[in-house]
Amino acid sequence: MPFFRITLLRSGIGLPAKTAGVLKALGLRKRMTTVYHPVTPDVAGQIMRIKELVDVKEVETSLTKDEMRAARRPDPGYYIETRKPRDLDGKTMGALKSRW
Amino acid sequence: MAMLAPTFRRALLEARSTLPPTYLLPFRANITTISHTLETDNVPDPLIQSGHHISKDLKQKVQSHPIQPKVAPRPVPSIPKASANARKDEVSTEFTANMKSMLPLLHSQPPHYLTVHIHGRPYLLTAGDTLRLPFLMPNVKPGDVLRLNRVTHIGSRDYTLKAPEPVKGTRDAPKKVFYLDERLFVCRAMVVGVEQEPLRIMEKTKRRQRHVKHVKSQHQYTVLKISEIGVKSLEEYEGTLEGLIR
Repeated sequence: MPFFRITLLRSGIGLPAKTAGVLKALGLRKRMTTVYHPVTPDVAGQIMRIKELVDVKEVETSLTKDEMRAARRPDPGYYIETRKPRDLDGKTMGALKSRW
Repeated sequence: MAMLAPTFRRALLEARSTLPPTYLLPFRANITTISHTLETDNVPDPLIQSGHHISKDLKQKVQSHPIQPKVAPRPVPSIPKASANARKDEVSTEFTANMKSMLPLLHSQPPHYLTVHIHGRPYLLTAGDTLRLPFLMPNVKPGDVLRLNRVTHIGSRDYTLKAPEPVKGTRDAPKKVFYLDERLFVCRAMVVGVEQEPLRIMEKTKRRQRHVKHVKSQHQYTVLKISEIGVKSLEEYEGTLEGLIR
């Protein structure tokens, strides 16, 4: 099922209440917010109301907010090779030697 | 057909005990490179089907009414979906002729430095450095050894190996960041401990209001000590490429 990917490029501050209502209904809170809505006549009509404020693209799959954040996240750049053994309290066993 | 697998096996066991005479077996089974005694999985189809007892009516019914496969739901791709402002980290594994000729020169000039990227942020490090990260690293305790594996520059006194420049992302194409091959170097860091910033107090208040809210902040930061930085020699690197050394 195709989706509209809608990104708010211009703010709705100072616009009439009805227009602000459309933004709220679509879930566009701030500038550069991106939301996914299914391609239906209802959503198309909502987009037509705010077409000057948004950028729209038709895509095949929708993403959640967490998925969008994960797509932007860089690699951690490290992995834990060895862990110092710890006792039941979680404290490391033995004294930490100063020799690194 | 998958459901009939147990019946296949049962039929097979029955068929093995009652094989038809040689002249009745199909001609194609005469010369074969497959050893039927050693490789017991390779059983010719007529032998498997000999145990099948399907009535003619059922066969006719199946042939006349082919089952229309239902439209399966579109499978969700396991690859990461393209998103606006996405990012792609590429660890380039190509080994050019230029790299091959210069790697021995780079290896011959210790000490080396690396530009290591941790969560996308670069740090220029050499052996023995103390690195205070601007965040608290979760799930590590003092004494743990980390292996840093995202590096864009490896350098010595006169030579530097650089990864390709990042490619700017557009609305649809993800930003591409390139890193050097992990097998070219070794970088180990030990977690030394956790530092705290000095306590800072922010006062929050409004005009003509006597109440002042005091907000305390004292963030923690993980401190690492770079214990080892090493660049592989050409022989070692080619050995890892062939899978001899890990």
